[in-house]
Amino acid sequence: MGYVKKERIKSFQDIIFDLQRYWSDQGCVIMQPYDTEVGAGTSHYVTALKALGDDNWDVAFVQPCRRPKDGRYADNPNRTQYYYQFQVIMKPAPKNPQELYLKSLEAIGFDLSVHDVRFVEDDWENPSLGAAGLGWEIWCDGLEITQYTYFQQVGGVVCSVPPLEITYGLERVTTFMQNVESHFDINWNGRMDEKKLTYGDVLGRFEREFSCYNFDVASVDMLLEHFMDYEKECQKLLNHNLVLPAYEQCIKANHCFNLLDARGVISVTERASYIARVRVLAKSCCQAWLESL
Amino acid sequence: MRQELLIEIFSEEIPAQLHRRAISDSAAVFTSILKSYGASFSSVTSFVSPRRITLRVQLLVQRTKDISEQKRGPKISAPQVAIDGFLKSNQKEKSDLIELDGYYYLHVEIEGREIKTLIGDMIEDFILKMPWPKSMRWYLNDQKTLSAFWIRPIRSILCIYDDEPIEVYVESVGITTCDYTYGHRFLAPGKLEIIDFEDYFEKLAKSYVALDYFKKREYIFKEITKLAATMDLCVAQDDDLLDEVAGLVEYPFVHIGTIEEKFMKLPDAVLSTSMKVHQKYFALIYQDSVVSPFFGAVTNIPNTDVMRIGMDRVLKARLSDAAFFYKEDLDVTLEAFAQRLSNVVFHERLGSIVQKIDRMMSIANTRDEHRAIALCKADLPTQMIGEFPELQGVMGEIYARQQGETQSVSLAIREHYKPTSASDNLPSSLTGARIAFFDKVDTLVGLLGVGIHPTGSKDPFALRRTALGIIRILCDFEKDVLCGETLSWYIITLITAYSDQGVALAPTTLADVQRFAIERLKTHMEDKLGIDPDVIEAVIHSYNSLEFNYKAAIEKANVLSALIPTPEFQMVKEAYRRASGVIIERQRLPQDSVASLEFENIHMTNLRNSVMKQEKLPQDFDVSVRTARALLDACDNVLINDADAAVRKRNILLLNQFVMLIDTNFGVLSFLRSS
Repeated sequence: MGYVKKERIKSFQDIIFDLQRYWSDQGCVIMQPYDTEVGAGTSHYVTALKALGDDNWDVAFVQPCRRPKDGRYADNPNRTQYYYQFQVIMKPAPKNPQELYLKSLEAIGFDLSVHDVRFVEDDWENPSLGAAGLGWEIWCDGLEITQYTYFQQVGGVVCSVPPLEITYGLERVTTFMQNVESHFDINWNGRMDEKKLTYGDVLGRFEREFSCYNFDVASVDMLLEHFMDYEKECQKLLNHNLVLPAYEQCIKANHCFNLLDARGVISVTERASYIARVRVLAKSCCQAWLESL
Repeated sequence: MRQELLIEIFSEEIPAQLHRRAISDSAAVFTSILKSYGASFSSVTSFVSPRRITLRVQLLVQRTKDISEQKRGPKISAPQVAIDGFLKSNQKEKSDLIELDGYYYLHVEIEGREIKTLIGDMIEDFILKMPWPKSMRWYLNDQKTLSAFWIRPIRSILCIYDDEPIEVYVESVGITTCDYTYGHRFLAPGKLEIIDFEDYFEKLAKSYVALDYFKKREYIFKEITKLAATMDLCVAQDDDLLDEVAGLVEYPFVHIGTIEEKFMKLPDAVLSTSMKVHQKYFALIYQDSVVSPFFGAVTNIPNTDVMRIGMDRVLKARLSDAAFFYKEDLDVTLEAFAQRLSNVVFHERLGSIVQKIDRMMSIANTRDEHRAIALCKADLPTQMIGEFPELQGVMGEIYARQQGETQSVSLAIREHYKPTSASDNLPSSLTGARIAFFDKVDTLVGLLGVGIHPTGSKDPFALRRTALGIIRILCDFEKDVLCGETLSWYIITLITAYSDQGVALAPTTLADVQRFAIERLKTHMEDKLGIDPDVIEAVIHSYNSLEFNYKAAIEKANVLSALIPTPEFQMVKEAYRRASGVIIERQRLPQDSVASLEFENIHMTNLRNSVMKQEKLPQDFDVSVRTARALLDACDNVLINDADAAVRKRNILLLNQFVMLIDTNFGVLSFLRSS
C-alpha cells in the first residue's frame, strides 16, 4: 500500500510522538494523562474546567479512556472498554483550525490526495457534564477518526471564549495507517523483528480481565456505596472551596455509575437519575471554578 | 454583469441535511432584506454548497426608490399611545398629522440611497436573520469578542456589485469583504479572484465546486444508476440519503463498492440500513428489489485504490457488528425479550411498555391479535434495535418469522407502527390495523390524559401524527377495526385499564382525546383533501362528539363540497336562512302534525304539501330543493307574520318544520357562513 512507509512501519507510539511534536509546534503545552478513570479526554479538568473563563489555553495530551460497557472480552476487533484518545484544546480556536487539523494528519503520514477526508456534522453533547458544542465527525474513507468540536457550554455555563476540542481516536488512526483490521493487530513499537509488540500483546490481557470485571464480577453494593461516598465528598470539598479535588470526586462517581451500568443493575429510569446526579456535581464544580477565577 | 450583486458567505462545512432548506431560506431572507431597504431588483437566487452560501441579486438598481406617500396611521379616535407611536416610528411631530376620513395621515418622503452604501448593513442583517436550527458562536481573535450566531465559523465574505468589488467591514463576524473566494478544499484550494457571477460560477466549476445543489444531486443519482446498470442492478431510491450525500461533497465522484459474501445472510433491511445510516452508501438492488452485494458511494475527491479498500473495510466492520447482534438476538426468543420490556419506560408517568401491552390486551379479540400484541414491542430490547432504532417492527417481524410465528402475527408486528407519516401507507392486514389502532389510541389517551399536549411546532411524542394515523385507519377499515364498538368505547376502556394499573388520567380525558382527534381531522380535511374550512366546520358541528364518525364526516364533507356551488344548494340555503329568521324557537313537531295544518293561501298550501313530501324523504336533497323553492315563493308572496295570531302561528309552525328537517338531515347548513 502506498500509504504505509515501506522502510519502516508507522507505529502506534510513533503516531503519538508525531502528534505531540506537531501540536507542541503549534504552541500547545504537552501534558500527560489524567490519573483517574475518565470516559473521555473531555473529562480531564484541563478540558472541562479550563473551557470556562476568559484565559487562553492551548494543550494536548494522550488520555486513556474507560467505557466499561464497550468491553467485548477482546473478541471484537474494534470495540474495547479501554482505549486511547489524543486530545487537543485550543482556546480560543485559531483562525485556521481546520487547516491545522489537516496538517496534523499529514504530520503523521497521511497522504490527503488519496484519501477522502470529510467533515460530517456532529452535534456534540455530554449530558453528565452539561456540555454541548457544534462541529463534525471527521471521516477518512468512511471511517470516523476524529471528533472536532467548538464548545459552546460546559456545566450548563456558556463559554465566554469557546474552545476548540480535537479528539483523535488513536487506535482508529493507527489501524488506518497500518492497514490492519483489528485494534489488537496494531504494531505498537514499530519493530518488525522478534521484538515487535502488538496492541494485543500490550493490552489484550488487560482488556479480557477488565471486561470480566466490568460485566461479571465488580461488586455492586460496593460501587453503589462508592457512588454515594464520592457524591458526598464532592459536596464537602466544594464547601471547602477545593474545586479540583471536588471535581475529581465527580469524575470518580461517574466512573462508578458507568461500572454499575455495565453490570446491568441500572434500569432505564434510574439511569436518567444517576446522570442527573452526576450533572449536578459537575455543574456545581463548574460554578465554583468560575467563581474562583 | 451590470446591476448584479454577488455575495458569498464562505464558512466551515455546513451540515449536509441543511442545504436544501438553506437554499430557500437564504433567498427568502435576502429578498425581504432588500425589500426592507426599498431596493428595486428582479430576482434573488441562492446556492448552498458545503462551505458556502451564495446570493445573486439580478437587476439591482443602484439607488433605492425615493418614497413620497401619504402614510395612513391610527384612527383619530385611537388612544394617544398609538398616535405617538405612529409619529415616533416616522420621526415626525404632532403638527405633521393630517386628518382624513377619520384617520391620521403623515406625508412621508424618503430619499433613495446608494445601494453600495447599504450592502454592509444588508450582509449584517442577513447573518442576523438567516434561520438555522442550531447555530454557534466563535471567538473573534482580533476584536476579543464573540461572533454573531452562524451555523459554523465564517472565514471570508466575497462581495461584488455592479462589476466592482465591495470592501466593507462586517462587524458581527469580524470580516472585511473581498473579491476572492476559494475552490475545492482538496482539489483546488487556491484563491479565485472574481469579476461577476458568471465568472464566479465558471471559476468554481473549474475548481471542482458544483454550486448547483440540485444538479449535483441529480448527477449523483444518474451516475450511480449508470454504474449499477452495467451490473444489471438498480439504486434503492432514497431521497433523504441523496439529499445528505449531495450536501457532503463539494464535487461528487461516484464509485461502486463490494460487500463480502458472508454478510449477505443478514436481512436486507439490516444491510441497507447499516449502509445508509453509518456509511451513507446507497444499497444496490436486483430487479426484484433484493439487496445485492454491492453499494454506491460518493466521495469528495476522485477515488483511489486505498480509498476503495478503506470504504469496503469500514462497512465490513459495521456489518460484523450487525452480524454479531443478529446472531445474539436469534439466541433469545421474542417472549424472553418481551419480558425485559418491564424495564423499558413507555412514559415516566404512564409506566412501562409491559403495562402498555397489558392495556392493549384488554381490548383485543382474536388469538392472532393477542399473540401479535404480546410480541409487537419485543424487538425493542434487542441489540439490533439498540444499534438501529429505525428498524423497530422490521426486526420484530424478521425474528417472529424465524421463530415460526404465523404470517398474520409476523406481519402485524411490523405493521402496527404504520402509518409512520402522513405519506406512509396503512397496515395491509386487519390484524395489523387493529393493533396499530390500539397502540395509537392507548398512546393518545395516556399522554393527553396526563396533560401532555403538543404546542406550536413542539410535539415530542408525535401526538398529532398518532391521531392522524387513527383517523386514517378508521377511514379505511372503520367497521372492521371498531368491531361493533365506537371509538369512544375504546377510549373509555383504555382509561379504565390505565386506572386499573393505578394511573389516574384527567376526568376530561375522553373529551380531550375526541377533541384532539377531531382537530386533526379538520387539518387533514383542509390540508390533504382540500375541503373548504366552512364546510369542515359545518360537518363537524353536525355530530355529537361521542358518536363522531370519521369516515362518514369525510364523505359528508365531500358531498357537501360538491353541492355548495350549485344554484339548488344556494336556494335551500336562502330558504333556510329566511325561515330561521322568522321562527322564534326551534321545536320538533309531532309526527303528521303538519298534515293537520290548514291554510287558505295557495302558496302556504303548496309549501305544506312540499314539507309533507320532505318528511317522507328527509334525506333526499332534490325534495328539499323543491320545498325550498315553495318556501321562498311563500315568503315572497305571503306575510308570514300575519296580524291574525292563529294564522301567524300556523305559518311559523310550517317554517319551523322545514328548518327542523334541514337541521336533522342537512344540519351543516346552519354553520355555513352566509355569503
